[in-house]
Amino acid sequence: VTDLDEFRAAVRSWCAAHVPKDWRAAQTGVSDDEFVSFQKSWFAELHSAGYAVPHWPAEWGGGMSVPQQIALYQELAAHDAPRLVLAFVGIHHAASTLFAAGTDAQRQRHLPAILDGEIWVQGFSEPEAGSDLAALRTTARADGENFVVNGQKLWASGAMHADWCLLLARTDPDAPKRHGISYFLMDMTTPGIDVRTIRNAVGESHFCEVFLNDVVVPAANLIGPVNEGWQVAQATLGAERGMTMLELAERLSNAGFRWLVAECSPVHDALVADRLAQFEIELTGLRGLCRDLVERSEARQAGPADASIVKLYYSELLQRMTGFGAEVGGLAAHTVLTKPASSGWESGNWMLDFIGSWEWTIPGGASEIQRTIIGERGLGLPR
Amino acid sequence: MSLSELHDELRSVAADLLAKDVEWALLVQAGWVGLDVPEELGGAGATFAEVAVICEEIGRAAAPTAYLGGAVLSIGALLSVQSNEFRDQLIRDVTAGNTRVALGLSAERAQPNFELATTRRGCRIHGHVTFVPDAAAAQQLLLPATDPDRVPVLVDVASDAVGLSIDNQPVLDETRQLSTVTAEGVEVDGAAVWRFDGDPQARLRGLIDRGAVAVAYDSLGVAQAMLDATVSYARVRRQFGQPIGAFQAVKHACADMLVRISVARQLVTSAVNELNEVTAAMAKAYACDTAVEVAGKAMQLHGGIGYTWEGGLHVYLKRAALNRALFGSPAVHRALLARRYR
Repeated sequence: VTDLDEFRAAVRSWCAAHVPKDWRAAQTGVSDDEFVSFQKSWFAELHSAGYAVPHWPAEWGGGMSVPQQIALYQELAAHDAPRLVLAFVGIHHAASTLFAAGTDAQRQRHLPAILDGEIWVQGFSEPEAGSDLAALRTTARADGENFVVNGQKLWASGAMHADWCLLLARTDPDAPKRHGISYFLMDMTTPGIDVRTIRNAVGESHFCEVFLNDVVVPAANLIGPVNEGWQVAQATLGAERGMTMLELAERLSNAGFRWLVAECSPVHDALVADRLAQFEIELTGLRGLCRDLVERSEARQAGPADASIVKLYYSELLQRMTGFGAEVGGLAAHTVLTKPASSGWESGNWMLDFIGSWEWTIPGGASEIQRTIIGERGLGLPR
Repeated sequence: MSLSELHDELRSVAADLLAKDVEWALLVQAGWVGLDVPEELGGAGATFAEVAVICEEIGRAAAPTAYLGGAVLSIGALLSVQSNEFRDQLIRDVTAGNTRVALGLSAERAQPNFELATTRRGCRIHGHVTFVPDAAAAQQLLLPATDPDRVPVLVDVASDAVGLSIDNQPVLDETRQLSTVTAEGVEVDGAAVWRFDGDPQARLRGLIDRGAVAVAYDSLGVAQAMLDATVSYARVRRQFGQPIGAFQAVKHACADMLVRISVARQLVTSAVNELNEVTAAMAKAYACDTAVEVAGKAMQLHGGIGYTWEGGLHVYLKRAALNRALFGSPAVHRALLARRYR
């Protein structure tokens, strides 16, 4: 028995004792407040076990080895634990940005707060800056010890619950588009911020528009050098992709595939059996890709398109799988009108999961953008 | 040297060697025929993982070698029977290049074994199997047979034995050699009947899995070669005033090839690391589908030149399609996996 086996056994018994029973049923049709409180209590529960931020450095409460992190996410997925939806941006994007480019004061201010439940939102996309993010127009004008921000952000997921925002804004309107952007930490209670939810295709309202009118952000909340926000964002955006994709792949392979087989059972039809086997093969390949990405990122050997390959493959496999679930689910799949909160894609309500799968093929670099990245950076094809 | 560095080195030596027309003696000299034969039997003492690297490179070169039948399958068979004086000597001879063998196993699934019968005139073997890889060049054939007690055994027969015929079966893929092997009461010496080491059925299945994974690696090499060729071509071929690789339709098609190959690589790697019926089925089904898809796309993206005999892409497409059919089609392997869902 290795240390890793012992660790896995410990996680397994912790999961058996702590993953809330029947949380999917309990979280179906709940109010927004109930969702938030469930997310926060699950985060606190994970944190008290030392499982909330395994990827952070040891001095900040993480320090798990990569094989341990892999085992942790595999076990959480195998036990069908709720996903950390609300804390996601804080523990991943905000934290990796603070570790990479934050000052000591910024880290001291925010990292412990994130562990106490501080919620973050990403303020990147805009109406005219989607796939072409560097075209963003929100401005931050220097004004003494402060910057004054004006503009509009879009697709800010969970902004209505957020305490802080990772904000990209243009500080030099005359510079080439990737060279005049700065990166800020913005307090969401600052006057001038107006958040409006957008209802998505599934019927949920977690995406938001954020209107910024003369919002005052102290210069001390600038992260990284002025006008180099694009470079900071590029360096930190992909940082967490490997492990979060691994978690998602494990969830898809566990509950996801289990439900799909159950949906098709008893498997009498040879065509259905063939499709299921094809999905099992692809899921096995996906899990291998994710493990490989995580291990190569750790060894700093990841290729320039590796993260794009994983994101593209995961999101399209998810879409095909949920689409197949909806197909074999027949008309009954259309009668399920709500899915549990805290479940991410994987509710097992195939029609809703199918519609929701576009939330993976569009954001975070649409599939078309990923293919272009893979072609140009992965294969060296001309622009 | 780490394992992956070792594999990289093996890969580059293999690529150089396979760039020329390969004779069997060269494969022997390179140490590949006895690559996973233990050192005490004259081999290199490596593992199936290294054999797989060679298979991938052979696929990348679409090299017309007898490596699959003459080494991968036959050495695998020899190593899965119990040690004895004759077997050990044969392994030494094959590894040293003194003799050549082939395994009389059909690459078409579910064909019956040969039958071993004891008659008044001694021990005789009968049977007929089609699509046996690389039997034409062999001096000895190893025939999987069922003995009078219905136990699978391996029988060593000289290829020129009376009553044995080996007939070439031409196929569209000119880089592979397949034969029909017929035994009509071939006389068998008792010392040439070898028992499997362990569960005979499992060992026999293991040989088919080994063949399937070797072919999956070959297909991975085929697919990688086709992607590389397409990317090189798309960078230099100009139409409408720009390299065709700058067109999104071409670029995205190449990206899809790379994604599929990346997934296939994961599956074949896990099959070689932990070889069993499930991992072999996954690797065989996915990698062989991938190679056909990628080679087909490569032909498409090369345009007119891709469709010419001279252009040579058809060699890869035919090899990919034949690989897909060897040792069970993807659908057969998926059906095997699907049995676990009931």
